[in-house]
Amino acid sequence: MFVVRFLVRRLFQGAIIVFLVSALIFTLLRVVPGDPVRLMAGGMAPEALIEKIALEMGLRDPIYQQFGRYIGGVVQGDLGQSFVRPASGAAVGGASFDDNTRAARAEVWDLIAQTAPMTLQLALLAMIFALIVAIPIGVAGGLRPGKWPDRVALYLSSIFISLPNFWLGIVLALLLSVKLNLLPAIGYDGFAYTILPALVLAVEIAPFIIRTLTVSVANVMGQSFIDIAAVRGLTRNQIIFHHALKNSAIPLLNLLGVQFSMLLGGVLVIEYIFDYPGLGRLTINAVMQRDFPLIQGIAIVTAAAFVLINIVVDLCATAIDPRLDY
Amino acid sequence: MSTPNTTLDLSAPMRERKIAARIWSQAFASVEFKIGMIVFIALLLLAIFYPWLSGIDPLKMDIRGKLAPPVFMGEGWNWANPLGTDQLGRDMLSRSLVGLRYSLLIGVSTTILMVSVGALIGLFAGYFGGKIDTVLMRLTDAQLSIPMIILAITILGVSRPTIPSIIIVLGLAGWPVYSRIMRSTVMSERKKEFVRGAQVLGATDWRIMFTLIVPLVLPPIAFVAVLDIARMMIFESVLGFLGLGVQPPTPTFGNIIADGRKYLINAWWIASMPGIFLVLTLTSINLMGASLERARNAIYGGA
Repeated sequence: MFVVRFLVRRLFQGAIIVFLVSALIFTLLRVVPGDPVRLMAGGMAPEALIEKIALEMGLRDPIYQQFGRYIGGVVQGDLGQSFVRPASGAAVGGASFDDNTRAARAEVWDLIAQTAPMTLQLALLAMIFALIVAIPIGVAGGLRPGKWPDRVALYLSSIFISLPNFWLGIVLALLLSVKLNLLPAIGYDGFAYTILPALVLAVEIAPFIIRTLTVSVANVMGQSFIDIAAVRGLTRNQIIFHHALKNSAIPLLNLLGVQFSMLLGGVLVIEYIFDYPGLGRLTINAVMQRDFPLIQGIAIVTAAAFVLINIVVDLCATAIDPRLDY
Repeated sequence: MSTPNTTLDLSAPMRERKIAARIWSQAFASVEFKIGMIVFIALLLLAIFYPWLSGIDPLKMDIRGKLAPPVFMGEGWNWANPLGTDQLGRDMLSRSLVGLRYSLLIGVSTTILMVSVGALIGLFAGYFGGKIDTVLMRLTDAQLSIPMIILAITILGVSRPTIPSIIIVLGLAGWPVYSRIMRSTVMSERKKEFVRGAQVLGATDWRIMFTLIVPLVLPPIAFVAVLDIARMMIFESVLGFLGLGVQPPTPTFGNIIADGRKYLINAWWIASMPGIFLVLTLTSINLMGASLERARNAIYGGA
């Protein structure tokens, strides 16, 4: 019963957030200069034709009318059609104004559904790499605050966080795939192509995990139930792995919820560098091509993902620590 | 230059100096902070004086001297261009240092804008509560759930990127985190005795907010903001890399690296050298920021 009420309340709040996000992005795209029809029809198209297409697509209506129409579609699960991408899958369409393939443009939902699993694969692998690196360093730092493991954690996380992802990506691609020929880098042709991008992404995530872990482990270890556990005759390993780590897991989970957008930002740049066919590359192309429906669709889907991840995070946190109340 | 301590001193009047000064001296005592500060000041001096003293114009092309490698690396290096030259024969060292200037300028001003907007919104939400709080916080949540980079590249991609527009976009994209922190601290301060006392004495809301609460809650937030200067510098270079930052021919880390990427196999230094500068600067800022944050946590207690 508690879970149901919690879910209903959070999903309702989430719906409001997603609505606000879509309103924000929608208005923003209409307000900024740059006519998408000009890009769709091509530079050579006559002014009259541009106006005609714009009128046909309803792009000259007041913003609130356009938004009403759009959100009506979104509620029914229709995110609209891309402005420029043809359904056949080619990256760029609408090169000339007398091109009559306009009827067959790709559905935004399909474009997102095709690329999202790729991004998920990348993000999950990166998360695994980051945890493998960060947990030992972070826990060791938290167990000895102020001593050398703590310093190592501080220096390492400061260096990791200072490595710009795009630069690291280029340098690693040069070293590992061009010079040493260990891993494939550019494009996607099998799972091996995920490893290098995931490594770069992991370096970006790891410092946050290290920092959260050192702080929370140090906090938990300072509490009295840890001292008492030693008196109860538990070994040091039991104390660390059963008691301390379990309690430090909650800040880590919260971190995942809060840093989701950072993760997405990293994914965006990394996919662009490695030409990895995921959501990030789709977003960058959509922005470059002024593909408004696609940008809106991606913003809505990511906002919804953000809301859902935060709900899951809170549910997991209550499962780990029943004292927490949301 | 607005280094962290000046932003702090502006926001902290005499009474608050004590805690701020304690955090400051505790941070200063740590080795990490000193290393960070020495490296940072060295880079800063280099960025301010080298392009000016050496008289090398970062935009001057010299096609005959193009693609010269850095000193001692490969054939054809010379002392005039210690870090080599790029595909148009422009000096890499002075280009990197000019890039560093822009990067610092944008990083620092963005952070100041971000903290001010976030702190103001959080202050109002936390102080007034009720409907204002609900509206402002829903807005914050909505903005927090759009990944900042999507917002930034959307706005900059469809409008013209200039330095002020980059600062505004990054600043406006980053405030939600600060408004959340500010709101929660203001809410707890607001319930305390001294606020009630001031109200009884007839102080207006504005007076309580800006003379009593802000000086109390802003310093701890301002210390952590140092870390965000580094984050914003990375962001600026990411934008430059995507072609949405400060436009060429003005050199920035992002657009030098994006250019250098095309010559990666023949001339690795074009993409790598600016990156090393960026990493050094960011590491020094992050070391300072992290030790400030630790000092703050040690003094305020809690995370």
